[in-house]
Amino acid sequence: MRAIHQSLLVPSVSAEGVLRLVALLLGVAFLALGLLLPLATMLLKSLQDRSGDFVGLANFARYFQTPALAGSIANSLTVALITTVIVVGLAFLCAYGITRTRMPGKRFFRMLAILPILAPSLLPAISMVYLFGNQGWFRDWLMGQSIYGPIGIVMGMSFWIFPHALMILTTALSNSDARLYEAAEALGTPKWRSFFTITLPAARYGLISCAFVVFTLAITDFGVPKIIGGQYNVLATDVYRQVVGQQNFQMGAVVSVILLIPAVISFIVDRLVQRRQVAQLSARAVPWQPAPNPVRDWTFTILCYGVGGIILVVIGTAIYASLVRFWPYNLSLTLTHYAFQGLAGSGWEAWTNSLRMAAAVALVGTLVVFVNAWLIEKSGGYRPLRQGLHFMAMLPMAVPGMVLGLAYIFYFNQPGNPLNWLYGTLAILVLNTLVHYYTVCHLTSITALKQLDPEFESVGASLKVPFWTTFRRVTLPVSLPAVLDISVYLFVNAMTTVSGVVFLYSTDTRLASVAIMHLDEAGYFASAAAMAVLIFFTSLVVKLLHAALTYALLTKAQRWRNAG
Amino acid sequence: MLHSSATLAAKSRSVAPPSAQPHLQISGLTKRFGDFTALRDIALEVHEGEFVCFLGPSGCGKTTLLRAIAGLAPQSEGRIVQRGRDISRLPPQARDFGIVFQSYALFPNLTVFDNIAYGLRNQRADRQRIRQRVAELLELVNLRGSEDKYPAALSGGQQQRVALARALATEPALLLLDEPLSALDAQVRVHLRGQIKGLQHRLGVTTIMVTHDQEEALAMADRIVVMNHGVIAQVGTPAEIYREPASAFVAAFIGNMNFFDVTSEGREGLRLGHRRLEGVPHDLTPGVAARLAIRPEAVRLCTEAEGLAAQVEDVEFLGAFLRVTLRLEECEQFVVADIADREVVSLDVKPGQRLGIRLPNESVRLYPAAEAGV
Repeated sequence: MRAIHQSLLVPSVSAEGVLRLVALLLGVAFLALGLLLPLATMLLKSLQDRSGDFVGLANFARYFQTPALAGSIANSLTVALITTVIVVGLAFLCAYGITRTRMPGKRFFRMLAILPILAPSLLPAISMVYLFGNQGWFRDWLMGQSIYGPIGIVMGMSFWIFPHALMILTTALSNSDARLYEAAEALGTPKWRSFFTITLPAARYGLISCAFVVFTLAITDFGVPKIIGGQYNVLATDVYRQVVGQQNFQMGAVVSVILLIPAVISFIVDRLVQRRQVAQLSARAVPWQPAPNPVRDWTFTILCYGVGGIILVVIGTAIYASLVRFWPYNLSLTLTHYAFQGLAGSGWEAWTNSLRMAAAVALVGTLVVFVNAWLIEKSGGYRPLRQGLHFMAMLPMAVPGMVLGLAYIFYFNQPGNPLNWLYGTLAILVLNTLVHYYTVCHLTSITALKQLDPEFESVGASLKVPFWTTFRRVTLPVSLPAVLDISVYLFVNAMTTVSGVVFLYSTDTRLASVAIMHLDEAGYFASAAAMAVLIFFTSLVVKLLHAALTYALLTKAQRWRNAG
Repeated sequence: MLHSSATLAAKSRSVAPPSAQPHLQISGLTKRFGDFTALRDIALEVHEGEFVCFLGPSGCGKTTLLRAIAGLAPQSEGRIVQRGRDISRLPPQARDFGIVFQSYALFPNLTVFDNIAYGLRNQRADRQRIRQRVAELLELVNLRGSEDKYPAALSGGQQQRVALARALATEPALLLLDEPLSALDAQVRVHLRGQIKGLQHRLGVTTIMVTHDQEEALAMADRIVVMNHGVIAQVGTPAEIYREPASAFVAAFIGNMNFFDVTSEGREGLRLGHRRLEGVPHDLTPGVAARLAIRPEAVRLCTEAEGLAAQVEDVEFLGAFLRVTLRLEECEQFVVADIADREVVSLDVKPGQRLGIRLPNESVRLYPAAEAGV
């Protein structure tokens, strides 16, 4: 009897197996606490009245009967759709310029085009006010229309979302197979026809995916409409007004649920499209090299650098606005706005908080995301647990920051919750931001891990090397570029995000991005611009450090990458 | 009568002393993936010091069986005993084997030295010992002086040898090779084949190799385990497998084989079309359909009067021999014969020519007509 027990139990309960199981359970618990439970609590809240009694869909009925509220749906859809058309169109042209022409200075343009990502979405909104506002340089260009409203929202969002779209479309368009174009040419196909029959179909999944990503970013963005929306209400600002302005949490939950719908649809479409895209390019494809064509090349150079110029003007305006003593009456330059005098809590202290928060998110987040991805991709056994973890890791992409932030209030602020102590700390901001940006990091990790030989772990096991040693000596070093990408992505997003954290800061943990909003509300426009510029340059410096580190790593520390 | 000579030849090649305890005993082993049964009730013994090949078409379960032995994909049912120790439920770390994968799975960020020393470091051996052992292994696989190179700087064949050295470093009692040669060029493959076999013989390490290449299996193995659809079709020495295939599947899978549809007539008779073949003993009830099999090199060509009448359809020049395709006039069935250059001249073999063929009784085998998977 004892012998049977030993042979059945002892080996299967090996120390390594237990450790892996514990790690997996921790990963699941992390996302359950940071995502599922808060979301569930919020959904429940939308079905309750103020005293917490279940009222079914009564809140939703009231929402749709109040034109001031329901009207925001149309507003949100309008600005999001217009933004999508503008951004996808422009980004497609620029991506085409990068991948399919011989325009000079492609690398420089790509660097320029990335810049908007480094700033909070509040920055372009502030610049728009300076450029087109009542005292702006170009207000006449609007022909009597106000920048405060849909025009300003679309312009600000287009600026801020453009880099996301450009990255997706550049990738989609660089998947070219020269053999197809050669075949078309050999058959005497005109250029425009090979564009419509080869180029567009090859990029169609990228285009669809891009359109949905842009639409989601636009409809869920809070920063731009908050600064420049004026009386033009959209869903994201409604959530904020209901919760912070009117303390109507139930209605806030209702608007959140409505905001969740387009994001979830877009998420599902994107996943379906991604799945189809996989086998598009065969391994034997020959990359297409554009031949010189002066007319085409110069057209795209002018177009791309036109876009680059606009990006520089928008950022430059914010920098200029932060340096001018008193716009537009005293244009002498000064650094006084960077002192944030008399703005306790909204000045350098907020910037320090942001820095600490971003560093924590980058550090903790990279570790958590990569280890979880490793558990999903590289450890055997516990299949349902691993699939569950993967599913949970994909979900945050479908949850707008405003919704997640509000869900955190509902969940962590419950008096009975043992995690209640987190409320008001920097830790909850770290958790919220990490979960908010989890999915992209997760996908990056999974992609990197999939590129590794699936038998590394088996070899390690056959040589009786514990899995953590193989993780430390092989898996991690080989995946280091991806790991660094994740950490810088998390850092920059943590620096710039407003939507998730706007509900969660306390007086001690006010963040720089939130401070911009408060400074703007209080009429300290120059200080708001200064804070936005400060965030921008912080992100820029980190990004440059990352580039330098990656370069050093790939050429020196990881010599083996160039051994072939 | 058919079996005697082949069996004798096979016995003389056998390596293991008959009394020794087997290195590996597998019994009742079944592996299921959901509804799909990848391995069904496998029973197998591998002797100490033996070189065994698992051979079969893709999807036959050979790699699954190897991974079950390694503990990388534990079986659903059944027992695996290594040197008297039940390892059925042990994780890979607790088993005693070294493995080389098809992809080699060399760690790209570690030098050749660190790759080979990977398992040694863990044994807490001191530096001097490790350095000595790695030098030994590099000597063994003919890669002296490559210690500081990274895998990407090595050719496919060199990478393969590093993977082999790494697997052997910890002196495992059992070496598992998962299609170790299939990623290499044909010439390198033949060269390494000899090297691996020689190495295995010198070290005397019990080795199991998975391959889908029958030539590789015939050239390297002491015994071959032919697999199909998750079951073992036949176990035997290369000569046994080739000369006395136990089923039509094995006969068709190893080498080339002609099949004829026949019906039994009496104790020693078979009907092929209009002709009655004599002298092939069988225990079939009269009138039962069967398949007669013969290797192309065993088919003899003669004049029309001396054998079964056939017409030459095609002649293929293959260097050392010619492959002649003929159509039997008795029954409209095709037969392929491999013959030497000389015979072609004497018999005037050319397309359209009418000839005779003979099927020597000692070279033919008989299989049931209906066999799944052929």
